[in-house]
Amino acid sequence: MKPVDCEFESEILAAVLQDRWPARVDAGLREHVAACEICAEVAAIAGAIDNDRQEMRAQASVPDSGRVWWIAQMRARREAAQTAGRPITVAQVIACACAMGLLGACFGATSAWFQAALHRGLSSLSALRLQTLLPTFLAFVAGHGALFLAMAAILLVIPAAVYLTLLRE
Amino acid sequence: MFRETAFNDIERDRTLDGASTGFVMDEDTFRAFYARTARGLWAYLARLTGDRQLAEDLLQETFYRFLRASATYDNETHRRNSLYRIATNLARDARRRSLSRAAAVPAGDDIERMPSLQDVGATERITDFTRAMARLKPRERAMLWLAYAEGASHQEIANVLGLRTTSLKAMLFRARRNLAELLGRAPGGAKP
Repeated sequence: MKPVDCEFESEILAAVLQDRWPARVDAGLREHVAACEICAEVAAIAGAIDNDRQEMRAQASVPDSGRVWWIAQMRARREAAQTAGRPITVAQVIACACAMGLLGACFGATSAWFQAALHRGLSSLSALRLQTLLPTFLAFVAGHGALFLAMAAILLVIPAAVYLTLLRE
Repeated sequence: MFRETAFNDIERDRTLDGASTGFVMDEDTFRAFYARTARGLWAYLARLTGDRQLAEDLLQETFYRFLRASATYDNETHRRNSLYRIATNLARDARRRSLSRAAAVPAGDDIERMPSLQDVGATERITDFTRAMARLKPRERAMLWLAYAEGASHQEIANVLGLRTTSLKAMLFRARRNLAELLGRAPGGAKP
């Protein structure tokens, strides 16, 4: 199997990164590089990459550290505010629902008109019979079959379309 | 209810005040760390993405995520490796996004237009190198840069790129050979 590394590789890399290659290294190491294919490749590639790195670093356009810190702080605060705001919103919704329920219960318990209306409604509901309602309903569906199919399709298609749109966004 | 809301507000204010203290380091330490690493990281990101502006954006995002990470660092090397790991993942995500938009700028184009080069020789050298790097796989670019520009060990490179240390040696060898071929360099460092 062909070797993929050489024991002198790290020494050559260090020499390149420290700007010692090739002038300020041991003559023995230079001779080794001339004979070793792997080390020759390491020297060539490491030299090319190191040159590129130096030129890139010189042209690097990095923002000021103070600006990066400030932006990070602002963003962290904004994210913290969003996180902290979420439980408050949930608590407020629950509290509002409880208050509405309590208000409705109080109104139902104290209003004579509401009590009378409730009794009327319950008694008329108990007078209705399922046996009489079902045939009427089926006859209505049979007469307006196309309309019912269209409504069913709309009920299925609209939520699916909304879901897909939101998913895409 | 009012009492509860007021309490929540106080808690929220405390959370907001403490938001910056949730960072892994204080401002002075960050500034010193940034001064040591930002330029090198920008060069890495620019080479990885082939886009200067994207490199700057990713640099800021990298430092933000680094600051917000709930990690403890043993030493400078550990800290630096973590920074490069975040940057590598962000660059990978950015590449995937640009591929999915099918509007990716070919890697290296933007770097070739870099201003203020010292001389024509340097421009040609950079252009050749940029083109060769752009033709490598992103992982090969990252691997070579970490090994030969940052002087990272095999274990560090494996950690940053999420690879196995045992397979890295062979992968690095292949990447180096590919780049040498693209640069048209014969073994020994001379151009044929």
